[in-house]
Amino acid sequence: MQTSSRLVKWLISGPPLLFLLIFFVTPSLIMIFTSFRLPGEFGGLAPVKLLPGEVAGDSGLTIETYQFFFSDFIYIEIFLKSFAVATITTLICIAMAYPLALLIARSRKKFRNLMIMLVVLPFASNFLVRIYAWMIILGPESGLSHFINGILVFFGIAPVTLLFSPFAVLIGMVYVHLPFMILPLYTNLEKHDPILLDAAQDLGANSWQRFWYVTWPQSLPGIFSGSALVFIPALGMFAIPDILGGTGDIMIGNLIKDQFLGTRDWPFGSTLSIMLTLAVLGIAGLFSWFAKPAIRMT
Amino acid sequence: MIKIPHRQTVLWIASILVYAFLYIPLIIIVVFSFNDSKLNAEWVGFTLHWYKALLNNHEMLLAARNSLIIAISASFLATTLGTMAGLAIHRYKLKVLPILAFTPVAMPEILLGVSLLLFFLQVLNLTLGMLSIIIAHTTFCIGFVAIIVRARLQGMDESIFEAARDLGATPWQTFHQITLPLIRPAIIAGALMSFTLSIDDFVITFFTKGVGEPILPIQIYTMIKVAVTPEVNAISTLLMLLTLTLIIIATRFDTSMLRGESK
Amino acid sequence: MVDSLPISVRLSLALLITISAIGCVQQNNSTGSNKTPARILQVFNWNNYIAPETIQRFEASCDCQVKQDYFSDNEEMLAKLAAGASGYDLIVPTGNAMDTLIRQGVLIPLDKASLPNIKNIHPAYLKTLFDPTNQYSVPYAYTLTVLGFNTNKVRELGLPTDTWAIIFEPEYLQKIKGRVTVLDSPRELMAAALLYLGYAANDQDETHWNQAKELIIRAKPYWAAFSNTSYIREIAIGDLWVAHGYSNDLFQAALDAQKTGRHFAIDYAIPKQGAVMSLDSIVLHQSGKHPDLAHQFINFMLDGKNSVELTNLIGSGNPNMDAKPFIRLELLQNKVIFPDEESLSRLEMITDLNHKQRRILSRIWTEIKLR
Repeated sequence: MQTSSRLVKWLISGPPLLFLLIFFVTPSLIMIFTSFRLPGEFGGLAPVKLLPGEVAGDSGLTIETYQFFFSDFIYIEIFLKSFAVATITTLICIAMAYPLALLIARSRKKFRNLMIMLVVLPFASNFLVRIYAWMIILGPESGLSHFINGILVFFGIAPVTLLFSPFAVLIGMVYVHLPFMILPLYTNLEKHDPILLDAAQDLGANSWQRFWYVTWPQSLPGIFSGSALVFIPALGMFAIPDILGGTGDIMIGNLIKDQFLGTRDWPFGSTLSIMLTLAVLGIAGLFSWFAKPAIRMT
Repeated sequence: MIKIPHRQTVLWIASILVYAFLYIPLIIIVVFSFNDSKLNAEWVGFTLHWYKALLNNHEMLLAARNSLIIAISASFLATTLGTMAGLAIHRYKLKVLPILAFTPVAMPEILLGVSLLLFFLQVLNLTLGMLSIIIAHTTFCIGFVAIIVRARLQGMDESIFEAARDLGATPWQTFHQITLPLIRPAIIAGALMSFTLSIDDFVITFFTKGVGEPILPIQIYTMIKVAVTPEVNAISTLLMLLTLTLIIIATRFDTSMLRGESK
Repeated sequence: MVDSLPISVRLSLALLITISAIGCVQQNNSTGSNKTPARILQVFNWNNYIAPETIQRFEASCDCQVKQDYFSDNEEMLAKLAAGASGYDLIVPTGNAMDTLIRQGVLIPLDKASLPNIKNIHPAYLKTLFDPTNQYSVPYAYTLTVLGFNTNKVRELGLPTDTWAIIFEPEYLQKIKGRVTVLDSPRELMAAALLYLGYAANDQDETHWNQAKELIIRAKPYWAAFSNTSYIREIAIGDLWVAHGYSNDLFQAALDAQKTGRHFAIDYAIPKQGAVMSLDSIVLHQSGKHPDLAHQFINFMLDGKNSVELTNLIGSGNPNMDAKPFIRLELLQNKVIFPDEESLSRLEMITDLNHKQRRILSRIWTEIKLR
């Protein structure tokens, strides 16, 4: 009996474990290893000499990518900028998701699912298609551009281009990530006990006070998990700045992509990826630490 | 005197604006897919030209087929492995497997894409192509399946398994006759989720794709970057139409689906 | 049982079923309708860099199928090859990228005996710096990186058109703010800046690079975008007034503006400080499966009547003497597409960089993008 249950344990945990060891752990280790190597003359990597007898100083391993990363503030600046974009995206998502999540949570039960479905539905369309839609809306020939620039010109302000700007990037970011904020927030708000609000009302709290002292603190775990779901993917995004961004919209993701598909510098690309991983781990740790007290969601 | 609007009214207005934000872009895509002008700017006239062009676009049809093959293979693999992982994580106190299964879900996709690219090229010496994409998609889908399966198991009464054991069922009998039927919805859910994640995935596909076989998201990306024609609107509209049909079918398929999102 | 699933999941279930159904239909269609020819010639080429009718004629003559993959930048092509892309019989790289491929040892030497038409190539385009004996390459077509402009706007604003200053000097840029694009390519933009500063396009001195960087950063606020493709359409419809772009693309834009009856014309010129010439050649990649078919294709493309189709289609330069009689007159007389001796002396072909230089250039480019 003992051996057979042992066997069962290995039978069911073995295959996924093996698969993930090969296709997740090994690639990650290789990425770390790659960051210490030298790029090949034409791309790819220079050979490594680890056999005994070879000169240690010329092993083909180096920490120069890390020195390069820290040698100039420019890369840290890109990280900071990406953090800023991800943070603003998250904040806008909170501001937009909250009223809707609250409304859904307070609607009659039979409408709730319909309303949630309406949030999820746009997600059935392809990710790139959703970004592309904004290219049309913000394009220089679009109605919106003409309208806004009409107003600006009327007040004597120079017309602006909406597409290919930081503004376009933010809109795209928010658009793509918004449901990831609405859903956890709704799941949280739905669980709130209305008795607490009634009690607050009985104690003479006005609607604003009821929100601020009762609903808001209770909803923090929902906000934290939503924020993690928005912030982390937003941090590594490259397609949105690539498609909607202008002359200055570059994020870590674009930089990493460029090392592999432009500059042919795999070691530095790996270093940047490792830095991004560290940043994500730090952020994830921070979120779970904040959210811990009450996070017992799905 | 202006009457301060009722709070519910404010909520409604804000919510309607958010819904509008979510839907207007999609509506615009659909409308312009029927527009008789190369520029997505103003309405010129009705045409089906872009749809016809799409049907004659061999690359695009091939891309759709390739994406389907990838999505079906990856979701099959991920569902099998993910279900095992979900079961194992729930039943045994495992330390390593949960971390390995759940981390790819939480990481920015680009990291997985880059590390797999390096891995395929250096270690496996694998020519990038459909196989590398299938493996890559499986890797990040396993976690999603495992999460869904585990959540389902967590919500179940443990005593049923004990009862089965007490009645002398072998582990296989318990699994086959009790556990499997109970978690079947979660398995189906996981499979569907993997399928949708795979067919929609752009970033990981971008890094692990080879050259030669067109893949749907990459094809759309190239169209957006290089030559924006309403053909992109047409393919987008078709994809959306597909989902809409599915929703109607899904409602027929089970009328209780709008009743409640139970756990 | 099923009703306990979340809605989204059930939606996806139905999605799966329908998509699979459609997939089967599609698969049947594609297998049913076109019989795959025995041999497929895989070409890794620039986007829109061969006339469709040329391909059709070649396919008819060889009972084979030509399949193309596209790149829009040499670096992109090299990166994709470095990242394992393979199976190509033919690649159409620019000189510097070809240089890399040759030194990498991934090209197959040409069998000149099966390329009798090579005699059609003008000697000036043979024996390049990168492949002095044409062991690996046959010149295909060339483009220049020049300045394109909306003639009406430029005249109206009194701007010069024969100097890179127009995209680098705030004095001119302030009149055309937001109406200028430059190429989204580190090498091309740096070359333009270096030329404007009086250095060679291939200058590899880091201090000169930094000067170029400063110049670019100073000018950047006036630019609408870095653009490799979208400028073609935008300058043709009048949204853009000045563009740093490729001669063949600008030729397209000029033609478009003319055809759609715009009230302005598009023109382009080689700046007096010099410009970059990109000579694209056809080479044989070792990963190709049909070297014989590839030779057949090269020889076919060396025939003036075939070679000219691309020139007449996109306005690229043509090194083929046999093609001259078939070239449209307005192209032949265009000094940017067929530069005279004096202009030729001001043109430079870009050479490849080593990995250290690539990394430094990448950092400069990052800084340019970020500032």
